[in-house]
Amino acid sequence: MQKEAAIREPLILGHKTYHDITEDVCRPIEDKAPKMWYTLFGIALIIGLYGVGSILYLLGTGIGVWGLNKTIGWAWDITNFVWWVGIGHAGTLISAVLLLFRQKWRMAINRSAEAMTIFAVFMAGLFPLIHMGRLWVGYWVLPLPNQFGSLWVNFNSPLLWDVFAISTYLSVSLVFWYIGLIPDFATIRDRAKKPLSKKMYSILAFGWSGRAKNWNRFELVSLVLAGLATPLVFSVHSIVSFDFATSVIPGWHTTIFPPYFVAGAVFSGFAMVQTLLLVMRKAMGLEAYIHTKHVEYMNIVIMVTGSIVGTAYITELFISWYSGVEYESYAFINRATGPYWWAYWSMMTCNVISPQLMWIPKLRRSLLFTFFISIVVNIGMWFERYVIIVTSIHRDYIPAAWSMHFPSHIDIGVYVGTIGLFFVFFLLFARFFPVLALNEVKTILKGSGQSYKESPDYHKHH
Amino acid sequence: MTRKYWKGLEELKETPEFIKHKEQEFPNQQTVEEFLSDEKLAETSTARRDFLKFLGFSVAAATLAACEAPVTKVVPYVIKPENVTPGMPTWYTSTYYDGNSYASILVKTREARPIFIKGNKDFGFTKGGVNPQIVASVLGLYDSERLGQPTAGGANASWSSIDKAISSALKSAKSVTLLTNTVISPSMKRAIAEMSVSMNGEAGSKFQHIQYDAVSYAGMREANLSNFGSRIIPSYDFSKAKTIVSVDADFLNSWLLSTEYTGQYALTRNPDAEWMSKHIQFETVLSVTGSNADYRGMIKPSEQAAVLAYIIKGLGGNAGVSAELNASAKTAADQAIKALKKSKKESLVVSGSNNIGVQQLTNKLNNMLQTYGTTIDLSNPINLFQSEDTKVSKLVKDVVAGAGPDVLLMMDVNPVYTLPNGDAFAKGLKKIKTSVAISAYADETASLCSYVCPGFHALESWSDFEAKGSEYALSQPTIRPLGEATASALESILVWNGKAVRGGKDSSVDYDYIKATFAAKFPTSDFAMAIHNSVMPQALVPSTLVYADAKIGSLPKSAEWEVSFYQKAGIGTGANANNPWLQELPDPITKVTWDNYITMNPVDMKAKGFVTTYDQEHGLNLTTVKVNGKSVTLPVYPLPGQALKTIGIALGYGRGANGEKIGKAAFQTKEYGGYELNAAGNRMPIGANVYSMVASGSTFEYAGAATIGSAEGVYPIAATQIHHTVMGRYSIVRETTLDIYQNKDRSAFNPPHTLQKLDEHGNHVEAPMSEFDLWDAHPVEKIGHRWGISIDLSSCIGCGTCLIACQSENNVPVVGKDEVRRGREMHWLRVDRYFASDEEAAVGTRKDKDTFSFDKAEYAAENPKVVHMPLMCHHCNHAPCETVCPVAATTHSNEGLNQMAYNRCIGTRYCANNCPYKVRRFNWFNYPSYKKMTEVNPAQDDLGRMVLNPDVTVRTRGVMEKCSLCVQRIQSTKLSAKKEAREIIDGEFATACSDACPTHAITVGDWNDMKSMIRSKSENDRAYQALEEVGVKPNVWYQVKVRNEENDLLSSLQVEAHHGNKQH
Repeated sequence: MQKEAAIREPLILGHKTYHDITEDVCRPIEDKAPKMWYTLFGIALIIGLYGVGSILYLLGTGIGVWGLNKTIGWAWDITNFVWWVGIGHAGTLISAVLLLFRQKWRMAINRSAEAMTIFAVFMAGLFPLIHMGRLWVGYWVLPLPNQFGSLWVNFNSPLLWDVFAISTYLSVSLVFWYIGLIPDFATIRDRAKKPLSKKMYSILAFGWSGRAKNWNRFELVSLVLAGLATPLVFSVHSIVSFDFATSVIPGWHTTIFPPYFVAGAVFSGFAMVQTLLLVMRKAMGLEAYIHTKHVEYMNIVIMVTGSIVGTAYITELFISWYSGVEYESYAFINRATGPYWWAYWSMMTCNVISPQLMWIPKLRRSLLFTFFISIVVNIGMWFERYVIIVTSIHRDYIPAAWSMHFPSHIDIGVYVGTIGLFFVFFLLFARFFPVLALNEVKTILKGSGQSYKESPDYHKHH
Repeated sequence: MTRKYWKGLEELKETPEFIKHKEQEFPNQQTVEEFLSDEKLAETSTARRDFLKFLGFSVAAATLAACEAPVTKVVPYVIKPENVTPGMPTWYTSTYYDGNSYASILVKTREARPIFIKGNKDFGFTKGGVNPQIVASVLGLYDSERLGQPTAGGANASWSSIDKAISSALKSAKSVTLLTNTVISPSMKRAIAEMSVSMNGEAGSKFQHIQYDAVSYAGMREANLSNFGSRIIPSYDFSKAKTIVSVDADFLNSWLLSTEYTGQYALTRNPDAEWMSKHIQFETVLSVTGSNADYRGMIKPSEQAAVLAYIIKGLGGNAGVSAELNASAKTAADQAIKALKKSKKESLVVSGSNNIGVQQLTNKLNNMLQTYGTTIDLSNPINLFQSEDTKVSKLVKDVVAGAGPDVLLMMDVNPVYTLPNGDAFAKGLKKIKTSVAISAYADETASLCSYVCPGFHALESWSDFEAKGSEYALSQPTIRPLGEATASALESILVWNGKAVRGGKDSSVDYDYIKATFAAKFPTSDFAMAIHNSVMPQALVPSTLVYADAKIGSLPKSAEWEVSFYQKAGIGTGANANNPWLQELPDPITKVTWDNYITMNPVDMKAKGFVTTYDQEHGLNLTTVKVNGKSVTLPVYPLPGQALKTIGIALGYGRGANGEKIGKAAFQTKEYGGYELNAAGNRMPIGANVYSMVASGSTFEYAGAATIGSAEGVYPIAATQIHHTVMGRYSIVRETTLDIYQNKDRSAFNPPHTLQKLDEHGNHVEAPMSEFDLWDAHPVEKIGHRWGISIDLSSCIGCGTCLIACQSENNVPVVGKDEVRRGREMHWLRVDRYFASDEEAAVGTRKDKDTFSFDKAEYAAENPKVVHMPLMCHHCNHAPCETVCPVAATTHSNEGLNQMAYNRCIGTRYCANNCPYKVRRFNWFNYPSYKKMTEVNPAQDDLGRMVLNPDVTVRTRGVMEKCSLCVQRIQSTKLSAKKEAREIIDGEFATACSDACPTHAITVGDWNDMKSMIRSKSENDRAYQALEEVGVKPNVWYQVKVRNEENDLLSSLQVEAHHGNKQH
């Protein structure tokens, strides 16, 4: 068993036993759901259904129900897409990259972070679909053999790369998540009393028997998948950024985009994880497993990625001036001082200034402050994408075609609706799935549990 | 070996039956006798009940079959009509005249449906010149609210009853007045003269014919009467004028024979020709004409006389009236004097005023310059606009007073709408015993008449014209009348006068009558040939008229605030207000669609507290304006170039104020479709009618004193352009002066773009754009065709005709005001209009690149220079749209076209985002069926749909579309060349826009044809490509705009650049 230095803060607080961990994780699944859950689920469902209604109206009537126009072909749709994909970044980073770096603190958060990832990618994937003028022929983006002879997809198009990037990312994340869930499902299966849930969980547990061979393969598969998923963390948002970087539009055509987008994605993903976990640990009584130290670690990630993003913003500004390209420099003058100055400065404030506050230890250990900043960061990241997309194309080359974008209530409905749907999924997850990787957490109980660290025996072995 | 053939086994086996029937060609053939003599037949019987059953069934079936069921038949031609080949267009020569515009035209029909109109370049003095209204008029043919049959007292009636009633009313009446617009048809004139003779006898006064135009030119005729002794309007020839001075005459848009003047003007604006004219415009509202001027003075309407007086004084004369001018006008007037002194008799001074005094001053100035005989031809009078304002006013006074004629016949006029006191006239009209309207619609006037007799649409009827003394023209029907029971106006006049009998739908009455007129005029000429050419030249008698000074009539009085009424390119006098193409045509200057507004200089607006900017969601302030005791409430539009302390309002709006059925598209629609209704439940008109504000003195005055209220709320504006300056960007619009163009080389006025690169020694060197390329070239260089367009910014006047032609050719949907407001108009071709800002020496050239302020550059100067820039798909050889489409729906053809496969498009809109020119248009809704466009899009109307060009797909929702460079025309050109086994001749292929352009600003052709026009244009010194530095290698070239002005600042900037100091 791995032991860690005593001066490191324990990752599991209190005097938890293995059984306590099982109990703490399984109780919410086995007990009746609290009223609060029903209330939240109800609200999320209503918002989600409003979103579904908006989408159906959109599909039935045409893209014109959004606030787009001849100059601005993408606005909230692709903003939301990139925003959700960015949020969906934290999960894989936590489970894959941190796994490879042997960051044990990830164990408390990886399960819900992965769930968040998957649901966020669901929401993200929705936008490229519904933003199409003709969704019913959307399958043409797949390189399917067809009866039209040599009719094929355009491999030059970044949108096509997107299709592959997002679908690969979603499938790998889904498999990774599921593999991790198998031993925990087995635990629930073994404890389940009702025949229906026993049946369901035994199907989900995939015949897990807990033998050494099972564990051996489990570890191997996890490692292989982590290896597979790690490049995806970088590829998916790089490719999303190519949608803009390969274009000719000033403000889009920027070579700095791939790293800048990846950093931004991690930034926003961690912020979303904070938002969710800070509520969940309280609601589900997981304070012992997800505590200040975890939050602090995540805040440091936010601080670092936030600084990268800030540097990227300033680099962009510098290059726009240094390049001497008339259109490029105007694009940035317009961002900062044009009609969308408020979006630009919202972005700057939320993404550049707010993460810098995390240098102050007191603040980054404050749960309330963290919660506040996590929301600010996600607002800022939404504005970042809006600024990139809309303020670049609303005034590009030909001034006579310059325009403004005003969202319609369907734009807002679809966006808010995806937040509702996201929470519907997440609440269902919290209700029926083990929100903590309980079998993994158990592996660090003796290495990093508070009771063990405090016990006089802890140092004897070393 | 001989082979044995057999028909069946029977023959092979030679069965007995076979042998028996061998000789019989038809087996078992029974003769009728045999059949009838068959005994079994006698045994069969039809019972009584069966008989009744059969009878009942047959009657029922016959009855059902007789009912008219709405069956849509697709019947192929059994016998192919001569000259109609399905899929092949047939062109007819014809002539357009609607009382306001006149042109010789060609009408394209497909399967006997007229679908496109263009100018006739080969015949007629308009030489192919048309305006947006003429091109759009083909849509008017398919208006479902056009009357199909005559009505009496509002109810449908038959021609026989109506003819009887009218004929007897005419007989019994004591006084008959025929009120028409200007009649230029010799046949109609003959018919009216016959009517006059049969009613008045030799010297009676029972019958009176009064001509009344919506917009009067009586002032001009009266002035000529006083100066020349004849009420004529002479011909003007702008092509001979080296100096053109126009005092508020919008001769490129609405003034007189603008269809003729645009072409003439363009000839003089070619900087490569021997000379280029200098055009000085003095005006109140920034007009199409003013936007093309070299110098433009802003004047109040009351200052027109002073401008003329100032110039007369400057040339050494004395007008006898005040010559006090404001600073803006003075600068322009000094330039005018300078230019006129130089060009002398090769000048032309025109005035758009309807004030007799101002026109007399214009005559005086022209006489001083001796332009009569050079640019003005008194021997070739214009027959248009014969309105006699005094007679009209007298008639109106009588009608209002209840002392009108017993019978009032009105033909192609709408006095209730166009008269200043239309309301009072409407009340008086009801008191007239018999009022008859020959009108296509139950419009404001016709709906109040006892009888409405719908005439034919111009495209359905025969007619003849004499627009000028020098030319007789004909128009011919291009389709069988669509109305159930319409009849030509000429036939009606003849029938009521007892000279003809109704001939029904296929009547030949007017044909015969016109042929007779023709035979009398040209006894030795062939009528068929005349129809083929549509025109016949006529000999002119040299004029003996001599100018004589006359007492200058009373001049307009000045006021603190003055208003000027003008006509818009699309709506004109209002007759075409129901045409959705024209309603959606962006005004050439303001780019506003579907609305009427008050124009005011932003300087004045700021002082009065009105908002001066607008976009999709931020409208403009409404205000109430009072003129001549009438008031209207309209939004105030910030129009730079509007003279200070003046406003302008367009005529032609507010049609159908009482819900008259004047056409589906003439009314305001709601956000989700359906009409806006007013308190009375009537459809709400678009804009407000300001004819009521016109002063009627000795002539109608289209200007006057105004009082302007304060801001009263906000009104949404649907404009296709909400940013008005080019922000000092030099690679979009290029402008220079004639002096620089002639004396400096290309690098001064049209420097090519260069980028820096490293040479073999590692030094930075400037290299042309052609040396930088990321991609392999498309295989269009020197192989096969490579289609391209060249647009001369010096020739383009911004009229918008190309836009309508493109809409008509390519089935471009109409989307309505709310969608245009949202920035979603579908026009494949747009005409960008840029105003120069105070930061620019000319449009696109920064005065000082170090102090250049983007904030200030966003706003136009007080009296800005203007550039019009038609912009369509640039068919880039390295098209950014093509690379980003995930499904390869937009690809490059091997002829250099960027083509759109609508069927393949999934609608990601990435291509539109990535287009540097922003020319791609997305189908946000299903325009051919979505409820929001029901009232406006012709494709949603059973009749309106007939205008669609069968060669072009109607696009569905969710797909991208854009200019195809009229690929259907390319294909048909190639086909006809192939059939004749020859190469395509340069000029044989024309896009709809280049076909329609009255100034020949758009040249298209095969760039790989080294001798082609497009090739030479693309290689001349003025050629540049917009946004060349983006590197998309477009197939569209522009020619630098050359202004014949003195612009020291621009000279110093461009000449400085010439010495190596690059501007950018």
